[in-house]
Amino acid sequence: NMSEQKTNKEQRYDRQLRLWGDHGQEALENAHTCLLNASATGTEILKNLILPGIGAFTIVDGHKVTGEDVGNKAQAATEFLQELNSDVSGNFVEESPDKLLDNDPEFFHRFSLVIGVQLPESTCQRLGAVLWSAGVPFLVCRTYGLVGYMRLVVKEHTVVESHPDNALEDLRLDQPFTELRNHISSYHLDSMDKKHNCQLPKNYKEKEVFRQLIRDGIRKNENGAPEEEENFDEAIKNVNTALNPTKISSTVDDIFNCVQCENITSQTSAFWMMARGVRDFVQNEGNGSLPVRGTIPDMIADSDKFINLQNVYREKALQDAAVVSKHIQSHLQAVGKVINTNKIQFLHCAAFLRVVRCRSLAEEYSTDTFQKDTITSCMDSPDSEMVLYLMLRSVDRFYQQHSRYPGVYNYQVEEDISKLKLCVNSLLQEHGLSVNVKDDYVHEFCRYGAAEPHTVASFLGGAAAQEAIKLITHQFVPFNNTFIYNAMSQTSATFQL
Amino acid sequence: MVQLVGPLSKELADSVSSCKILVVGAGGIGCELLKNLVLTGFKNIEVIDLDTIDVSNLNRQFLFQKKHVGKSKAQVAKESVLRFCPSANITAYHDSIMNPDYNVEFFRSFQLVMNALDNRAARNHVNRMCLAADIPLIESGTAGYLGQVTVIKKGVTECYECQPKPTQKTFPGCTIRNTPSEPIHCIVWAKYLFNQLFGEEDADQEVSPDTADPEAAWNPEDTAARATASDQDGDIKRVSTKDWARSTGYDPVKLFNKLFKDDIMYLLTMDKLWKKRKAPVPLDWAEMLQLGEDPRTRNSRLKDQQVLNVGGYSRLFQHSVETLRSQLADKGDGAELVWDKDDPPAMDFVTAAANLRMHIFSMNMKSRFDVKSMAGNIIPAIATTNAVIAGLIVLEALKVLNSDIQQCRTVREKHIKAPVKSH
Repeated sequence: NMSEQKTNKEQRYDRQLRLWGDHGQEALENAHTCLLNASATGTEILKNLILPGIGAFTIVDGHKVTGEDVGNKAQAATEFLQELNSDVSGNFVEESPDKLLDNDPEFFHRFSLVIGVQLPESTCQRLGAVLWSAGVPFLVCRTYGLVGYMRLVVKEHTVVESHPDNALEDLRLDQPFTELRNHISSYHLDSMDKKHNCQLPKNYKEKEVFRQLIRDGIRKNENGAPEEEENFDEAIKNVNTALNPTKISSTVDDIFNCVQCENITSQTSAFWMMARGVRDFVQNEGNGSLPVRGTIPDMIADSDKFINLQNVYREKALQDAAVVSKHIQSHLQAVGKVINTNKIQFLHCAAFLRVVRCRSLAEEYSTDTFQKDTITSCMDSPDSEMVLYLMLRSVDRFYQQHSRYPGVYNYQVEEDISKLKLCVNSLLQEHGLSVNVKDDYVHEFCRYGAAEPHTVASFLGGAAAQEAIKLITHQFVPFNNTFIYNAMSQTSATFQL
Repeated sequence: MVQLVGPLSKELADSVSSCKILVVGAGGIGCELLKNLVLTGFKNIEVIDLDTIDVSNLNRQFLFQKKHVGKSKAQVAKESVLRFCPSANITAYHDSIMNPDYNVEFFRSFQLVMNALDNRAARNHVNRMCLAADIPLIESGTAGYLGQVTVIKKGVTECYECQPKPTQKTFPGCTIRNTPSEPIHCIVWAKYLFNQLFGEEDADQEVSPDTADPEAAWNPEDTAARATASDQDGDIKRVSTKDWARSTGYDPVKLFNKLFKDDIMYLLTMDKLWKKRKAPVPLDWAEMLQLGEDPRTRNSRLKDQQVLNVGGYSRLFQHSVETLRSQLADKGDGAELVWDKDDPPAMDFVTAAANLRMHIFSMNMKSRFDVKSMAGNIIPAIATTNAVIAGLIVLEALKVLNSDIQQCRTVREKHIKAPVKSH
């Protein structure tokens, strides 16, 4: 029955397993997320996490359902969402987020991720502080009229599988390891003389010389004309990308220089253990280079030769991995710990390790530490998405003063314009921001009436759920840290605030 | 445009609730789109899809549940939407949009058409119908993490076919039959073989060596000479593959030896083909039996993602032939099987046959997972991408309707002014 269940899951999740693999799926199934506010946006986000099989969700919502079905929103939403996937466990808490923060802030410590939707600024700040000290990632989402907003708050998020676009191969042609050198010597190509001091061709001119060297190597037929050889053509085409120098990126260097990498304790996570093991390798056996990745691209060759070449890289990668493993084990022993060694299997990603660190909400909002320069320079273009950010901050201010958002009822729209304008001005003044917020935006935000159109909620629901999946699976790099979507112009932007 | 947002301007809100729209496709994008449409206030929706629900749809096509597997997508989508929006007026068609019943008049009855398709033929067709009927079309598509939305309006934007799209890859017959050089050639060959043995025989899906291959002849006259077969191949020429297979009782060993030994040996006699290519190496059943399991396949990876050795695929070939043989027998006389990537023995058969051929032609063999991707043209898909795209589609739909209103308003005002002016 266990195996039947497994097959059913494989069938159901087939199309997504092809994207994030079984280990990604496992991470998803072990996650428990909390949603605050089962609004249109909130339920859309959850739907997009439940369908792919997140382990569990808990909805926190104190609102009552109005109309025919009198009851609790949290419960109703949970029941509907539960129908989407019987593998997922749903829970609900009929309580407002503020009450919960008053009575039991530690309630939030159990979650892998907390998603706060349509929260007033004060609640956001309170929750942000609790989650920041507890080390729980917090994703803030908002649909406001034709504007979508997301803010990621996570102290430190590590990524091994960042899946970069256009990653270069790790062929080591500039510094062939012994086994590769020996393997190449076993081929009987006429030797090419060593004219260039063992340096790679650096510019276009040198690369052309190199290409000609290759062309000269092509066999000629009886008439002296070069044969058509597909493998030589391929070699010439790949000169640009195959000859990249073997060196460690500054991103990875920064990771090596982090204090977490230096000070290994019994609290050290698997990521930092791995980073330290790789660093030790680089500084010793690797002679300044990372462990060999071990994969080579498909190429035109006969099957036997290709497999042999592939094995040379694969064997070296395994050797290097064993050395890294030894380093890691010695650190583990020194702090008296045992770690699941499955996590060490991603050494082929060593060149693409990433760490994301977001500023806290407190830092974003404090007049001492807010990103004045970023905001000012963005606002040089007065229609930049940054103006929408300032408007969202302004409507939050309005809410604080009037306990409601502007223009919710038609009769309020006109009179709220001047009130909202005051909020904008006081916001700018308090922060010493001399930027121009056009009246058009003030009018627009009044007309929005804090509405949550379903179509914008659908868009944001998809985007937010995808970021949540990145955080949970630790694959791909989440945004850092503010995302604004403008549904009118169909544009978006990210800022680090 | 700002008046779009709740409340929509009176005119736009009226237009939304009164207009009639067509959604072509009730799959990944379609489900999300139907939901967005009704929650935005669209009332009169027709949806069409020829497909039925499969288990692998359930990770994203949320209007469907396990109990609906096998039923019509359009029909179940309609029923599920009505559960949360009983006032919607939805008509569902379990049919192909390319059916001539859906003529220009049919398309003209809508104010807007939205595609939620997964294939070019249907997209081209709907594009032309919308141009002919002069109805705005919103085109969209998703694959993995990527998606796009485009508005197509006759006389205003370019249509779907204005820009040439990369053509669907097809391979010449002699590549499939004689000189495969990539795994996909072997996979296509294996699918053809399935049809020749168990399904509907197709003259364009021959699997035996192609003696008329222009590359094979040293002299043109030789082609004719080769066309009169050698000893080994003689019988097969005059009898269809299926008939021959039947005459052996679908004996897996006989099939194996013909396809992976005799036919390959025949190819080897066409020596010009192998002057510049690595020649294929025939297999022998007796030798395959000697081979044990590859020790390297012992790891924790999903069974589907392992690559077996040639002995393993030989055994898989045998088992799948035996299973398919009984499936065929159960169906009775003159029966045919239809290949389906989600039917395990059919998928096993293609995996085994393709890999055996890959090995013969010196290619690295592929796991069942990878073969399924290629054989089944599988495109990875998740809920989030479809949700994002469907959100964008409805926003564009509102803009289209709104601009139609603006245009109407302009026309109306002109009418009002004119009589006054003429006085």
